[in-house]
Amino acid sequence: MRGRRAETLSATLLLLPFMAAFILFFLLPALQTLYLSLTESSLTRTSEFVGLANYATLIQDPSFWSSLGNTFYFSLLTVIPLTALGLVMALLVDHFAARHAGASAWLQGAFFLPYVLPISVMTLIADWMLQPSSGIVNHLLGMQRAWFSDVRWAMPVVAIATIWWTVGFNMLMFIAGLRNIPREQYEAAALDGARGFAVFRHITWPALMPVTITALVLQLIASLKVFGQTYIMTTGGPFNTTRVTLHYMYETAFTQSDAGYAAAVAMAFMFIVVALGLLQALLLKKRK
Amino acid sequence: MRAGRWATAALALLLLCGSAARADVQVVQMWTLVSGGDGARLRALVDGFNASQGEVRVESTTLKWGEPFYTKLITATVAGAGPDLATIHLSRLPNLAGGGVLRPVTDAELAAAGLRGADFLPRQWARSQYAGRAYAVPLDMHPLVLYYNKDLAGQAGLLDASGRLKTITGMPAMTEALRAVKEKTGKAGLAMEAAQSTYAIWRLWLSLLAQQGLPVVANGQFAYGAAGETTLAAIAHWFQAGYATAGQDYPASTSQFMAGNAGFMINGVWEVPELVRGTKAGTIRFRYGIAPLPQLYGNASTWADSHGFAIPANEGRPMTPEKTRAVLKFIAYVSTHSFGWAEGGHIPAYRPVAESAAARALMPNAEYAAAAASVVYDPPGWYMGAAGPLEAIASKFLPAPLAGQLTPADALRRFESEAQRLLKKRPPRY
Repeated sequence: MRGRRAETLSATLLLLPFMAAFILFFLLPALQTLYLSLTESSLTRTSEFVGLANYATLIQDPSFWSSLGNTFYFSLLTVIPLTALGLVMALLVDHFAARHAGASAWLQGAFFLPYVLPISVMTLIADWMLQPSSGIVNHLLGMQRAWFSDVRWAMPVVAIATIWWTVGFNMLMFIAGLRNIPREQYEAAALDGARGFAVFRHITWPALMPVTITALVLQLIASLKVFGQTYIMTTGGPFNTTRVTLHYMYETAFTQSDAGYAAAVAMAFMFIVVALGLLQALLLKKRK
Repeated sequence: MRAGRWATAALALLLLCGSAARADVQVVQMWTLVSGGDGARLRALVDGFNASQGEVRVESTTLKWGEPFYTKLITATVAGAGPDLATIHLSRLPNLAGGGVLRPVTDAELAAAGLRGADFLPRQWARSQYAGRAYAVPLDMHPLVLYYNKDLAGQAGLLDASGRLKTITGMPAMTEALRAVKEKTGKAGLAMEAAQSTYAIWRLWLSLLAQQGLPVVANGQFAYGAAGETTLAAIAHWFQAGYATAGQDYPASTSQFMAGNAGFMINGVWEVPELVRGTKAGTIRFRYGIAPLPQLYGNASTWADSHGFAIPANEGRPMTPEKTRAVLKFIAYVSTHSFGWAEGGHIPAYRPVAESAAARALMPNAEYAAAAASVVYDPPGWYMGAAGPLEAIASKFLPAPLAGQLTPADALRRFESEAQRLLKKRPPRY
């Protein structure tokens, strides 16, 4: 009895710091944002409670919907490639681990390195490489394309830079997943005469399913929350074709100092992200 | 060892003296958005002021021009963490003063520093007022002008006997001049920034609308009508016909002109110091001239803006009278020394300097001095002004027709649909 009480006490104590941080930095700001979205406010001053008026405006706001479309387009370009590429890299690293530990470590380091870069450095590198007249990409392709000003290319280029930048994290998740697969399963499969792709198809792939689902859901949420890359590389241009929802929210709040409306954008967007995340998790779980 | 000890003691003594001497020095923190050649000139004025007396020391911080500067100024000052002094564009005054970001400057405070409203050119002084009070002290005016390369323009037959640009009147004549440079010299007719999110096209478009007597916004509605589209199309034609290079950003466009690769450049007067410097240093190997923006439509209107000094309101941290005196002492110093600022191409706002014989004779400023008579500022409105909400939106859509990415009609339709919400919104109180 005594032991149980001590356990409860220590559990509570251990949970407290997290709960405090959660309430202070997430729950309270979220509730404040919810309230803000029901007012007409400038950056710091709340002037008037307006009920759902901001949401009514939002539904008819073409800028909001186009920014949402851009956000989905970016997610479409990144979520599956990032997950698939992460898996391929993990398989490569794992493949070499059995034969050349050194090569495997080197590969893992090289794949993961871009992930540690701050966004400003990553975007600078991408910007240098893609300069119209001096960038190496145009040099290799023998053209002078202004990638970030090109309506067709601006978003795909941002997506490619993002994939290069963040794929290392997914790779690490898949490596952890691969190392968790019991060796006996492979030995048993080998005894049954399974080789090459069949091993992957019937053992590795099913065993990695939970990791894949987690990676896809996390990646979808991360991609929907894109802001820094497009803000720095394209400033949302050309003519807003790469302006994502968070960027629109930023502009509304800071350039136009319409914090109430920006809060409504934030709430609507949060709702969409949560709904999509849940839907995706449900669908993937069901298939499994 | 011994020497080391002596040195330490001496250093400690020095530090003590230093801090004792500085105890009654008023330190003024200034945020500025002028950089490049302008920034160097302002820095020289700050250094000159600091060296001229011992009671006030101005510490200047240069921040990124445009929207980031104003966002930072607004958010910092409403939190009471803003600077003691800021450079602003007078076109942003309705936004900043109306939003409670700035603190008014009284006549008594000005007088104590030896300044009067009548010391400043009337238009700039009028632009420093909001709701009947002064919220800024004007420093200058910087209109859009037409730079020309005399060597290329000469080859194209565009100069008169005295080597100055023949007067260009009307849009067809301007287009013809650009074509002549392109065809006779093989160089670009015009250098102008035209990449995505650039401002030059907005300033030129506003100028040309004003030349037709049309405001952008009147009575809370877009008021340029069909002329907005035809004017934008006329400018876009220069790029589509290859007389100007589409997609160039600001630095690329100025270096195109500075390298002698364009007959004309449409830009603000702030590029004058670079031309003067380059000519002295021998990096600019052509003769250049500067003319007011030509009259392409009904009148000779030219877009202009002004820099001014303003005191942030800093809510909850009102400025002490001593600090106010220190700030105004600096403003008075810069005003009376604004000839140095005029050498940066700007037209000074302080009359004793602006109307002095030296300023009138200053070259190349004298070549475009006539532009001052027909400048148009942004109309008052909380969303107007340099890097303001409306300009930020315009800068996204208006360059697109130059690169042929959108038709002028489509660009303006998208501009209006996004800007509509601003016109309906009441002015924010920060």
